[in-house]
Amino acid sequence: MNKRVILALATAGLLSAPAFASGDKTAALAATCNNCHGTNGVSVGPSMPSIGGLPEAYLRTVMMQWKSGERYSATMSRLIKGYSDQQIADLAKYFAAKPWVPQPQPVDAKILAQGKAASERCTTCHGDTGSQPDDPAETPQIHGQWAKYMELEMMKYRDNAVAMPHRRMRGNTQRLKEEDVAAVAQYYAAQQK
Amino acid sequence: MNRFNRRDFLKVSAGASLLVPMAACAQTAPRAGGKKRVVVVGGGFGGATAAKYLKIGAPDYDVTLVERDKVFTSCPLSNEVISGEYPLSKLQVGYDGLIKRGINVVFDDATAVDPAKKTVRLKSGTTLNYDALVLSPGIDFNFAGIEGHSEAAANNELPHAYKAGPQTLLLHKQLAAMKDGGTFIITVPPGPFRCPPGPYERASQVAYYFKHKGMNKSKVLILDSNDSFSKIGLFQQAWKLQYPGMIEWVPGASGGKVVKVDAKTRTAYTDFDKFQGDVVNVIPPHHAGHIAKNTGLTNERGWCTVNMLTMESTVHPDIWVVGDSCVHGDLPVYGAPKSAHMANTQAKVAVGAIIAKLSGLPAPEPYFVNTCYSVTQPGYGFSVVHIYRVVDGKLVYATDAGGVSPVEAPAITRKLEAEYQVGWFKNIMADAFS
Repeated sequence: MNKRVILALATAGLLSAPAFASGDKTAALAATCNNCHGTNGVSVGPSMPSIGGLPEAYLRTVMMQWKSGERYSATMSRLIKGYSDQQIADLAKYFAAKPWVPQPQPVDAKILAQGKAASERCTTCHGDTGSQPDDPAETPQIHGQWAKYMELEMMKYRDNAVAMPHRRMRGNTQRLKEEDVAAVAQYYAAQQK
Repeated sequence: MNRFNRRDFLKVSAGASLLVPMAACAQTAPRAGGKKRVVVVGGGFGGATAAKYLKIGAPDYDVTLVERDKVFTSCPLSNEVISGEYPLSKLQVGYDGLIKRGINVVFDDATAVDPAKKTVRLKSGTTLNYDALVLSPGIDFNFAGIEGHSEAAANNELPHAYKAGPQTLLLHKQLAAMKDGGTFIITVPPGPFRCPPGPYERASQVAYYFKHKGMNKSKVLILDSNDSFSKIGLFQQAWKLQYPGMIEWVPGASGGKVVKVDAKTRTAYTDFDKFQGDVVNVIPPHHAGHIAKNTGLTNERGWCTVNMLTMESTVHPDIWVVGDSCVHGDLPVYGAPKSAHMANTQAKVAVGAIIAKLSGLPAPEPYFVNTCYSVTQPGYGFSVVHIYRVVDGKLVYATDAGGVSPVEAPAITRKLEAEYQVGWFKNIMADAFS
């Protein structure tokens, strides 16, 4: 597609309508994700992760791992089987291009300090505030992600009854003290950048 | 702008492979200087989603949403209001989010549609013109389908609580007034009905109420017109585990179909027997909302038939029907269930089809997904997922994906899905109304 044509269409305010209707299939496909993950992948439901603005490679890795069974999910593993590898790649690209919107989640100072102290082992990969992931294929940013969701994810990593792919995440989450899990989640959730 | 012309626009829009005849555009072109007008009737999950996504997809359209009530009350999670786990207010949302998006929200009652003139008449006397109409009227009850039943009885002695609101609170009140040793009867109409797992979730929530109030001699009796139900294996597993002996299900084949009720004595009659309850929750048979019926869009069973790939009515063109009122996916296996999630995805498909048609383009490929969580006690949930795809121009249920949560699953699965229910709920409310 000619860039000037796109620009002209956008200026004329005409691009958006046919984009949803015909030009961009991925937008229509992605709209089915919004039901649970929020419009544009910005979740407002604490047990559901925001996915808009996560690294493309990470999104693709996770979806492909659900599809192959390498990564456990209570719901997504059934859903993702309905999508082709190409659709998964398209969705990863689509949501990665959306802005990351940290959700404001204030937390009291005591829990914040407890979470920060316990999160030492997390910083190598996720960074001090969770916004500096080391490897985009493996590691998401987690600052401002929902605390409840992160707590539930850690619960999965800590439970050997389910298959989770990342040995370091397994080890590090299992070495966390039970009472620190929620605090670590809340510490990263409270970080806005 | 000088390099942009109509031909480029069409080429780009149609993905360069398709040249749309000019005539197709001329037919649907707006009146001189006028915007394209879409009217949406019904501000539930289907209608609200349609209005919002129309405004996102085509900001220059004139979108009007007609809705009777100023506050929407969600049916999903309303069984938790009956058991006292959730306040009703948490299930309510207004229309400010849609108004802020530039949608004209009109609080009125749509009384008639003229498909030939393409107008919608409102109770207040206003007539709205449309280029495309979305009908999402939900359901209306057929009280006459059960002898002795009436709307008045439903508002007092025998609430259905199958449209969330005052009757939900009434049913909670009736439950709260029960003494231990009593019976809570739920009667289930013949399918298809709104929210396929709804009655069984409700039975679970009522049993949970009994259990945590120490009312261990109390019973839930489900008198069912049908011989099976949604997520049956998972519900029965949960009942055995959590409420042994407390919930009894009588399928249609064993005489479970209720044909008559007596509001005064709170008695439900089947062809063979009668059952007296302390609370009798009669879910009457239902069909598409009356405006769809009056517009002639319904089939002999009372549901609207639609083009499965676009949601456009098979009776009248330029009317799209979404949500519980339509029969969508009348397939050999798993027709689309009447759920909030399905209504939301149907609305998005309809929006794509409407914008395409009003732009003179072929309808885009539709994507339909359903996800539905049920919670039988706090911290214990499960789900069903439906995925549909287009194969050789026809909509089919994807048998290689989706399905229900495994019956044999690690404990964490039930805990997670109970949490996901609430996350799902908050997001779908926002996706439709914010």
